[in-house]
Amino acid sequence: MTNASPSLAHAPHHGRVLQPASAFISRAAAHVGTRAVGLLLPLAVLYLWQTAVDREWVAIQLLPPAELVWQSLRDLWQSGDLTSNLAVSLSRIGWSVLIGSAIGWLLGFLIGLSRTARAYLYPSFEVFSQFPVIGWIPLLIIFLGIDEALKIAAISMAVIVPVTVATFKGIENIPTRLLEVARVYCFTPRQLLLRVVLPAALPSLFSGFRQGIMQAWLTLVFVELLASSEGIGYLMVWGRQLMQLDLVFVGLIVIGVVGLILDLSLRRLEACLQDWRHDNKQEQK
Amino acid sequence: MAHAATLEIRSLNKQYQVRGESLPVLDDISLSIRPGEFVSIVGSSGCGKSTLLKLIIGLENDYQGELLLDGKRISGTSLERGIVFQEHRLFPWLTVEQNIGIGLLNNTKLTEAEKRKSVQEHIELVGLQDFAQAYPYQLSGGMSQRVAIARALVNRPEVLLLDEPFGALDAFTRAYLQYELQHIWEKEGITMILVTHDVEEAVYLGDRIVVMQPHPGRIKRIIDVPLARERNRASAEFIAIKEQVLSEFAGETEAEPLVELAADETHQLGYELIPQA
Amino acid sequence: MNVIYTFLRRDWRGLALPLALFALWYAATAFEWVNIKLIVPPEKVLEAGLRYMSGKDFTEALSNSLFRDLSGFALGGIAGILLGLAMGLSRWTEHLVGPTFNTLKHISLFAWLPLISTWLGTDDRAKILFIALCAFYPVALNTFEGVRNIPRAQLEVARVYRFTRWQSLTRLTLPGAAPQILTGLHLALIYAWMGTIGAEFLLLNSGPGLGDTVIKGRQAFNVELIIFGMLSIGLIGALFNRLAAHAETKLLAWRGHRV
Repeated sequence: MTNASPSLAHAPHHGRVLQPASAFISRAAAHVGTRAVGLLLPLAVLYLWQTAVDREWVAIQLLPPAELVWQSLRDLWQSGDLTSNLAVSLSRIGWSVLIGSAIGWLLGFLIGLSRTARAYLYPSFEVFSQFPVIGWIPLLIIFLGIDEALKIAAISMAVIVPVTVATFKGIENIPTRLLEVARVYCFTPRQLLLRVVLPAALPSLFSGFRQGIMQAWLTLVFVELLASSEGIGYLMVWGRQLMQLDLVFVGLIVIGVVGLILDLSLRRLEACLQDWRHDNKQEQK
Repeated sequence: MAHAATLEIRSLNKQYQVRGESLPVLDDISLSIRPGEFVSIVGSSGCGKSTLLKLIIGLENDYQGELLLDGKRISGTSLERGIVFQEHRLFPWLTVEQNIGIGLLNNTKLTEAEKRKSVQEHIELVGLQDFAQAYPYQLSGGMSQRVAIARALVNRPEVLLLDEPFGALDAFTRAYLQYELQHIWEKEGITMILVTHDVEEAVYLGDRIVVMQPHPGRIKRIIDVPLARERNRASAEFIAIKEQVLSEFAGETEAEPLVELAADETHQLGYELIPQA
Repeated sequence: MNVIYTFLRRDWRGLALPLALFALWYAATAFEWVNIKLIVPPEKVLEAGLRYMSGKDFTEALSNSLFRDLSGFALGGIAGILLGLAMGLSRWTEHLVGPTFNTLKHISLFAWLPLISTWLGTDDRAKILFIALCAFYPVALNTFEGVRNIPRAQLEVARVYRFTRWQSLTRLTLPGAAPQILTGLHLALIYAWMGTIGAEFLLLNSGPGLGDTVIKGRQAFNVELIIFGMLSIGLIGALFNRLAAHAETKLLAWRGHRV
């Protein structure tokens, strides 16, 4: 098995030229086929939904027709309500991620680089990180009221934890052999930071950033459901109170789509970073 | 003593399908192995020697030609054929004793009591009495490989395949395990087929040495080793045979190994070639 | 001797920050630097906590919350393991369910609450379903990956020794994926607790729980009660975390010592 791996690297290049078109097409078709299988489940659910609505198995208040959901989505989009609420939510995310990751990076670097800082700060941070952020919210409401400040503070706190942990771990896991190289060439602390620590910890930094954003998204929806007068979560609360479940469904869809886009684009970015790191590694060999 | 098997290989051919192309890995291999014989197979990377073992053990079943064990066509794995892989492949969540017991899991011939006894005997055979309750992470590379040998032997197979079993070990451990393996072979009297890169190992252990050449894998020559056992690696005869085997490789340039793939790896290859939408 | 030695050798610097904050809190309230209606003195929190804990309300709230948390965790965990195994073992299930699963997991968990509460009301059924959903994703995801990451080398061993399907499942797949399944369960425990508190905050008026306690404290502007409730929530979360980490090291002792 072991002798197979080197050949794997150049085998595809031969094949791409020699491969007959028919084989390629049939395999591509099979690939599309397996992808299409994934559509069966959502289609089945849609069909069931439609049947349930048509046959009136459940009250229309409890299960709005799928077209109505689609219609509401379009109406909200065209009237600008959807975009304005989404913009409010996204700006909350933006500010919190900015504040949270700034604090998280600072804390992570401090703990990662200085043993003293680590001895003083890390135990408290560890305890803090185990408290569910949501548990803090009532206390924050006492101090900050239920306005923007509360939302930004709560969401920022959710961002701080993963960002700090990833930053700290990223620095801690820098291989000793790299640090030894820096010592051999008598790097100054500044050189050490810029030429070794930062590049080596970058993938981990980014991964913390991504996790932070996903946590922010989770917390945002919670805060908006709890106390808000605008934002995508508020849209859902409103729909729920008016018993207009189509609005709730619209909220679910929008939250899912935004979450998907956020996650996929961040993962893509992260993969690029990893690739860069991988190439670097091979050059070093 | 276990029954030792005759292995007949007649015009064996094997190809892998890579991206719609047929890539020959083994080309017209014919070899007859006597019961209780120790055959060493040597060859450079890509000569298909590991594929040959995969076919004999039955992890690969797609071949042309004949592959007969005691006259029966080989198809699929069977407890009468044992194998030791290059990596020990122990289950890390099981102790030494339990790992050896894995070999007997589907043995229907023995009672539970007999199975326990057999496991104990094989722990003793490889000298790991003190480590019966140890987990793989607590063992050295050589000890792990001895457990793997015990696991392979515990069924009393008719033929034991060894796929570069000592390749990953340091020189001292390797020499010691070669010595131990020879004793086990003499004691059990079963057929053994050893695939190795190490010419000295092949000469030390083999009754015959099969030299293979790559692209596609063919048998280049079969060399008898008429030396009495306990072989002396420093003796003139030993060195002469070693030189003779090495000279078979002299003509070969350091060829770039083209492909030695297992079936599912080829699948993956094909899969990767489909452009991502 | 040994006890004293280890006691002295421990790094006590980590206590400096909490102690300083506590001292600041104490001083600020004792000398009334701040509005003590808003920032209540520590002794009042302790007093309120003791009073509350001795009453029946606390045990009821605590047991309700734990019951919801653990039932949701168990349901979600089992469902997650089953789906993860199914997707990990069968390519067809993966193709069929995988895309839907991977899309739905991006819906921020709390977004499900309005829907769930419309359909099931605000009682325990709704909460437990929601908590189960919180626990479900990490378990399903990690189980799936754990099953897929079982090395082919080990699958070949199973073939050489002619494992039946059942043997492969119980002797190779489950123990082989155990580290990742346990990671998933550990995450699920954290998420389930978050879900419990979140659901209790959002779905009020249905049997007391720790979350309700805190929310009621806020409505009554009872800051002592809020802080006490918050601390209990945090401590229980930390306790779960400890237990999970302990269980992981115990169950995965076969991996040897890992840092």
